[in-house]
Order: sequence, then structure tokens, then C-alpha cells
Amino acid sequence: MIVPVRCFTCGKLLGDKWEEFSRRVREGEDASKVLDDLGINRYCCRRMLLSHVEIIDEIIKFHEAGKNLRPP
Amino acid sequence: MNIQIIKKNDISLRLLIEDTNAAFMNTLRRIVTSEVPSMAIDDVVIIENSSTLQDDFLAHRVGLVPLKTDLDTYNLPEDCTCKSEFGCNLCRVSLALEAETEDHTITVYSSHFKSENPVVVPVSDRIPIAKLAPSQKIRLEAYARLGKGKDHARWQPVSMCAYKYLPIVIVNTKLCDLCGDCIKICPKNILTKAGDKIEIRNVLDCTLCQDCIDACKKNPKALEVSWNENSFIFEIESTGVLTPERILKGALSILEGKLKEFLDQLVVK
Ligand SMILES: [Zn+2]
Ligand SMILES: [Zn+2]
Repeated sequence: MIVPVRCFTCGKLLGDKWEEFSRRVREGEDASKVLDDLGINRYCCRRMLLSHVEIIDEIIKFHEAGKNLRPP
Repeated sequence: MNIQIIKKNDISLRLLIEDTNAAFMNTLRRIVTSEVPSMAIDDVVIIENSSTLQDDFLAHRVGLVPLKTDLDTYNLPEDCTCKSEFGCNLCRVSLALEAETEDHTITVYSSHFKSENPVVVPVSDRIPIAKLAPSQKIRLEAYARLGKGKDHARWQPVSMCAYKYLPIVIVNTKLCDLCGDCIKICPKNILTKAGDKIEIRNVLDCTLCQDCIDACKKNPKALEVSWNENSFIFEIESTGVLTPERILKGALSILEGKLKEFLDQLVVK
């Protein structure tokens, strides 16, 4: 749904690193290098960002559209 | 006991500890993970939530946000003089979160929290808590208190606390034919070829996996991997709530308290 605040396994704080990670990967950087830069070393934490899909961005579109349907 | 700092920064600390034993190292590790208190949100009162995230989902996320901890000012709720379930200002900090948006979608970050104590604030300002579509709104009040890792993982001050034996890697130059198989297989790149012999670069990184021994085709093997049973590499990585030094100091004073209590009980009998 929305990026987890912490790693499920070890509890490292990762939520604040997601936006930078996804932006840099979208711009074409190598994901493994970005993870190294962000100081995410353990594989439990790396898979958290690597496998995350921000589904809330898809769901929120319905709410954005819904606003226009509501009576003023 | 001899302690040497190998690596140190804001959140992590790596020590070489000599002249001790595994029992002591494990005691230290277990106290760090489950007994050293830190601050986290425990109760959440949701006044209004029209976001896409349900109340319990939101409360769970808010609870996981690590908060900078002041161990000297606050008491554990069970030790506090107020003896109240709700807590007093020596054992509880309230944080408020209010966010709403009119015409565009926004992300609510941990920086939106307004804490009654400016010292007890989220470790990072950029943790996304929720996303709000136009005309959605969140209003909540959260109560943070000290707690221990053994009660819930959100109170654990560390994201990693581990130790390993001090590795000893020896290459027998008489048997080694420099085939290089051990260099290729080592996951930590400890071995390297230097002239006509295999050299060991950073033995502290060795994980004692012994893959190099399996890769060596010589019989008897040209390498030997062993460890010193009385020396350890101890590493601790804080979630940011406390400095690693403060966590270690806290752990040692808790251990001292436990030993004192044990001694008192022995004397009475
Ligand atoms: Zn992890
Ligand atoms: Zn109190």
C-alpha cells in the first residue's frame, strides 16, 4: 500500500529513504548502487525497498476523481 | 578485558573486545535488544481520519516511527511515581498530527508531528505517514512513552546488535599452488594475490563461512580458518533514538542493576 516505516525483519528505519530511492531508480540509476549510497546494507532491508510497489498512488486516483463527483 | 573501537559513526559502532567469553557477549546483546528503554508511541487517539488508510493501519504506522529519546528525563511508566495508567509529564509525551488538503494530493510526513517536548521528535522528518487526496483530513493525538524491546519491537533501540568470534585465517605458503580459487569464492574479498603468495587483506570482515577451504583443491588444505574464542567483534546499529554509546552504557548499567539484585537475594538466604 504505502511504503513501510521500518524493515519487517530488523526494524531499520526505511520509510524516509523510499522517495530518494524510487526517484533515483526511475532516473535510471542502478538500484544496487542507490541502496549502497543510502546505507542499506543488509538484504532484509534491501528487499523492502527493492520489492515495494506504492499502490496507494493508484488507489488515491479514485479519491481524487471522487472529489469532482461530490456535490459542492 | 581490552576494547578497541574499529568503526564509529552517528548510528553504528563496531568494537573489538578481547579477553571475554561468549556468555558475556550474549548477555550484552540480549540486554541491548530487549532491556534498554526507548521512546515510542503507544496510544493513538484518532479524532478524524478520512484518508485511504484505515484507523488501525494509521495507528500502526505512527507507532513504528522512532522518536529521539531522553533517558535521563523520563521514567518508565511502571517505575514512575505517578502510578497512573494514563501517565504524567515525567513518563508520557503527547504528539499531535493534523493534516488536510484542499485541492491537491499531499504526503503527510513525520515532520507534521507537533510534540509537546521539542526533544522528543521523530528521528527523521521525511517518513511518509499517509497520503491525502483533496478534501481528505487526518487529526490524531499520540502518546509516546518509554518501553522495552521485549514488550514490542518498536521500543528496541537498535536495528542490529550482533557479535562474532575474531577470525584467524592462515595460508600455508608451502602447500599453496596459487590457483586462486579461494580468492574467487570468498564473499567478503578477504584474500588477494600479492606476488607469489596469497595475502589476507581485512581479516575482520571474514564471516567464517569456510568456503575458501572447500574451494581449495589441495589435500591437506593450504588454508586454515579458525577463530579466537575469547575475542569478539561486536557491532551495534542504532535506529537513531539513542547514540550507540548511550545504548551500550545503558545496557551495562542495567546489567549492573540485575547483578546487584541477584547478589542481594543471595545474601538474604
Ligand atoms: Zn532489515
Ligand atoms: Zn508518571
